[in-house]
Amino acid sequence: MTSAFYELTVSHFLILSAALFMIGVAGVLLRRNALIVMMSIELMLNAANISVVAFSRAYAGQPEAAFQGQAFALIVIAIAAAEAAVGLAIVVTVFRSRRHSDIDRLTLLKN
Amino acid sequence: MNTSILRGLVAMAVAVLLVAIFTEPSLALAAEQTVGRDVTTYTFHNSKGVAFLFWFLAAATIGGAIFVITRRNMVTAVMGMVGTFFAIAGLFLMLYASFLAVIQVLVYAGAIMVLFVFVIMILNRPESEPWAIHGLLGKGLAAIGLLYLFKRLASLLWQVKDTHALVLAKDQLGVEVILNHADPELMSRFGGNIRNLDVGSIKEICESGLAICRDYDFGSVQGVGYTLFSDYLLPFEAVSIVLLVAVVGAIAIARPAPEAVAEVSDETPTPEPS
Repeated sequence: MTSAFYELTVSHFLILSAALFMIGVAGVLLRRNALIVMMSIELMLNAANISVVAFSRAYAGQPEAAFQGQAFALIVIAIAAAEAAVGLAIVVTVFRSRRHSDIDRLTLLKN
Repeated sequence: MNTSILRGLVAMAVAVLLVAIFTEPSLALAAEQTVGRDVTTYTFHNSKGVAFLFWFLAAATIGGAIFVITRRNMVTAVMGMVGTFFAIAGLFLMLYASFLAVIQVLVYAGAIMVLFVFVIMILNRPESEPWAIHGLLGKGLAAIGLLYLFKRLASLLWQVKDTHALVLAKDQLGVEVILNHADPELMSRFGGNIRNLDVGSIKEICESGLAICRDYDFGSVQGVGYTLFSDYLLPFEAVSIVLLVAVVGAIAIARPAPEAVAEVSDETPTPEPS
């Protein structure tokens, strides 16, 4: 038990990333505000980034694979920025026409 | 259906899930392998201070994330998220990804969170009912299901082994020595005390060409940039186009319409009687 506490492995980072992902999933499932749902999506993207960078560290001994995880994480950050911009624009537009951003009440396309 | 029958069914499902969690066979297997495995090969060779730093950053990450999904005030949630992002940047530093840590602070904590704060200020509408699921049973079921999923995932992830490389960074030489544990010649020569190599042995390994010795730059801007502009050139350029499309799309969506937009009601519009 103390060795698991003091001696870090790549598993520590992976389990932390899994926990962060779970919290993001809980936020998406439980919250009704569209902004909080988008923030939970950002949390999940960050969890994926942590695991990718941890694997990059674990495979640092292979020179052809050394930086691939970090390059991948950079691309994920760029995609997350684009997603946040478009998503927030949609939230603002929806709020402007409906005076709320409650995802449970946005059921115009249902049925 | 009767409410009491429904509640009984939900309670039974909760009980079955609880039993399934605590009698999970792969968990016992993972615990056994944790005790029996060779920890000297797979760890990061960190000091105790680094371990405490990791646990502090992990607690900040998880605490900030829980803050995000539980607060009713949205500005408070954004502040918790900024804390989470700073802690993640610290974790990136621990994983030798210094460039990525800087980008994390600049892009996430600097740009995306400012965007969120702007939108919250524009909307300026307090939440009336923050949670989607009513009742204690539904919440308990969701929490137990999530915990079960997390336990399955964690027991799987705990068995991930870093068998390919052991990164030994020595301050005296200023180089990073990367050993390949699959190399039989290297293992036969240094196999006994691969963990406690001194400077002479590291020089010997570097000169013999058995391991990769390079400048201490793992995670630097140079290394990441070289990978990004050689192997990942096409995704890099594709991302630039995605960002351009996102900027144009965001402006096109959020721009106020020239004529006043009619208020859309929540109800489905009833057809006009003809």
